[in-house]
Parts: sequence; structure tokens; C-alpha cells
Amino acid sequence: MQFFQRKKLFIILIGFIVLVALIGYSLSDRENITGPEQVVNDTVGWAQRIIHAPVNFITDIFTNIDDFRNTYQENQILKEKLSQYKGMIYEVQEIKEENKELRDTLDLTESIRDYTPIQATVISRSPERWVEQITLNKGSKDGIDTNMAVITAEGMVGKILNTSKTTSTVKLLTGFDQYNRISATISRKKGDDINGMIEGFDEESNSLLFKIIEESDQELKEGEQVFSSGKGGVFPAGLQIGEVKEVVSDQYGLTRTALVKPAADMYEINQVIVVDRNLAKDESNESEEEDE
Amino acid sequence: MKRLLLPLILFLFVVLEGVALELLPSNLVVGNLLIIPHWVLVFLVFLAIFYDYENTYYAVLYGLIFGLLIDVVYTGVLGVYMFSYAFVIYIIHGLKRMLHGNIYVTLILGFAGVASVDILIEFIYTMVGLTEAPWIDYFTHRLLPTVILNLVFLVILYPIFAKRLTRWGGEHLTKNNAL
Repeated sequence: MQFFQRKKLFIILIGFIVLVALIGYSLSDRENITGPEQVVNDTVGWAQRIIHAPVNFITDIFTNIDDFRNTYQENQILKEKLSQYKGMIYEVQEIKEENKELRDTLDLTESIRDYTPIQATVISRSPERWVEQITLNKGSKDGIDTNMAVITAEGMVGKILNTSKTTSTVKLLTGFDQYNRISATISRKKGDDINGMIEGFDEESNSLLFKIIEESDQELKEGEQVFSSGKGGVFPAGLQIGEVKEVVSDQYGLTRTALVKPAADMYEINQVIVVDRNLAKDESNESEEEDE
Repeated sequence: MKRLLLPLILFLFVVLEGVALELLPSNLVVGNLLIIPHWVLVFLVFLAIFYDYENTYYAVLYGLIFGLLIDVVYTGVLGVYMFSYAFVIYIIHGLKRMLHGNIYVTLILGFAGVASVDILIEFIYTMVGLTEAPWIDYFTHRLLPTVILNLVFLVILYPIFAKRLTRWGGEHLTKNNAL
């Protein structure tokens, strides 16, 4: 009997050591997940795709009913907006053409704004709520790589955390911390741009923390739009992140932090676009990434 | 062939947990409450109480396998769910010797199981630095709603599986008690 008691204790001890080793390994700074994990992700992803179709069908019915109620109001607003946009389309076309001509004269063919979109569908969301992750139905086979930005029509939602052959995992903006920063900017006239970093998410105010690194004279105003700046070398420039809600200073009054309301809805994500930055990721960008 | 049924059901629950947040009404999800579906664990509690004999540990083994699966697919931090599930199921397996398998005992053990698993996971995540939520917030915003909703799930599952698992246990386990 004593032997069995000792055996039990022994097993629990070994289990504990394995636990610590596994956690240590998975939190270490690794580029992508290991082969076995990719195989598991592919297999589960395959099953999730099957399950997701009927579930989506049912939830769609409910959202459709909700949508019908607001249709009339929405239609009125959209009609108004549409008339505004008609004018803008012409303007944008002109500017684009001019931009292209100017670029051609300067021999600039690649820009940090250019990217190739990869369409993907969300097939599951992590049930563990501290870990803000969703799974997409496209993987390395479709050209998705780690650290690519993920956007919806409204704005940025996150970045690719890891990939397997046919699935990939996205870390949502709401789960960002100081290790997952985005170089961001608020566009102003005459090079007065306000630069900074998105450095995490504040649960209490439900907003992203935008740390301003280059102090500019002008005060930030509420409602100003924050975009990715493309200077981190990972994400392309010009992806909408959100709008400024409030500006607070830190306890010493040295740096200011803007609370930014994310532009995209983090809870109802169905279709996303994975952004493959065109500009080659060469060595100079690598070093930039480290600075980030 | 029949032996494959249990792993298949557990696998189905793992997959369903991934779409659970879409199935729940959205005002529950968007609000402050964090509801974590521990459906795999609830089913493992059933296994431990009704399926396993005193000297078989299939529920613990499945806890290890499917806990690891959840770690790999949904969190990326390996070992946390695996260890918590297996450990708690092992204790429940030990406790059932003293108690008779009926709905009340299942409810009590299910309550204890889900609560202790969630606390254990929260504890490990706090140690690792994955979460910094104060414990008071954790108890009101996460633990309470999680336990209640998982118990509802347990009550729904009870009439479907309680008798069936006892029968399957008898069929599968009499021939070899190797594990």
C-alpha cells in the first residue's frame, strides 16, 4: 500500500515538472508552432469547418431578423452618405493617377502602402477568454505567414500569431501587450504627424493604448483617426486602427497616452482579409523590427 | 468500434467549444462577464462517475489527451488545461467511491470540478503572467457565470448520458481492466 502512495506522489510530481516544462517551452519566443501542433490544428480545423457551416447558418437567421428591423433607418443614412461618396470617388481617382505619375517620375515602384489581400473566414474563437484568439480557414498553403496584419472592412483586428498548412491563428488587438506593438500614426498636415505605438489594450475602458513617442505641440483632439504607419516593418501603412477617445498623461506627466477605440468590432468577426505586405522584408526591416 | 465513440464525442465537444461564443446570445459575450465553456470537462466528470470502475482511469487519460488538444488549438500555452483537467478528474475519480452516482452527486461533483479547474487555470495563468485581473473581479465576472452555465450544460447532458455511460462502462471494461 505504501508503494502505491509513493507511486501516486511520484506521478503527480512528474506531471508538475512536465507542466512547467511545457509552459516554459510554449511561452518561449518561438517563430511558429511545431510540426505536431500544426497537424493537430489542421485536423481540428477540418472538423471546425464542418461544424461551423450549420452553426453559422443558425446564427445568421437571428442576426437577419435583427437586421430587418433597422433596415429602413439604415437605408436613409446610407443614401445620404452615398451621394457624398460619389463626389469623393472622382477626387480619389484623380489623386491616385497623379500619385502614380509622380511615383513613376521618381522611379518609386514599391510603397509601404501596397499589399496583397488574402480573403479568409473565421472558423472558431478561443473559448479561453484571457487568450484573445480566432482561427482562420486559410494557412501557409495560401500564402499566410506569421506577423501579417489582419483587417476587416472597418479596420484592423489583429495579426497572425501562428500558421499551419490549412489554418492560422490570429491574435486580436484586444489581446495585445508590450510584446506585440504596432507602430501607428495620426495624420496631420505639413509633416506634423503624431507618431506612437499601440502598446496594449485596457480592459476597463475597452480601448487600445496609443503611447505617443514624438511630442508635438498640438493637443490631440477627440475623434481623430489612428492609422498604422508602416514604420515597424511588419504591417503596411494606412490600415485604420481606431479613433481617439481620450488623452491621459502618465503619472510623471512625461508621456501622453491616447485611449483609442478600435474601429473594428472584435466580437462579431466573420470575414477577414489577411494583409500580405508587398515590400520585400529585407535585412534593414529585420533590424527595424527589433527596435520596435 | 464502440470504443471510438467516447473519443469522438469528446472531440466534438472540443470543436463545439470553438463556436460556443457564437451560439451564446451576444449581449452575454460583449458585456463584462467572461463565460468559459468547459464542456469537455463536464463530460469527463460523467465519465469518471458513470463509466470508470474504481481501478480504471480512462477519464483521467482522456483528460490528459483532450486537455492538451484544447491547449494546442485554443490557447497556445501547452500543459495548462491538460494538467488541470487530469488532476481534477483524478480527484473526482477518487471521491466517487464515497458517493453514489445520482443527479445530486453529479451536480455537486460537477460544481466542484468546474470551479476548481477554472481556479487552477486562473492561478497558473496569473503565475505565468497571461492575466492580471484582480481575484475579486475574477470571482464575480468569470468564475460565477462560468460555473452556472456549465452546470446548466451538465443538467442537459445528464438524462442523455448517465444511464448510457454506465452501460457502456459495463460493456467495455469488463474484459480488460488494464488501465
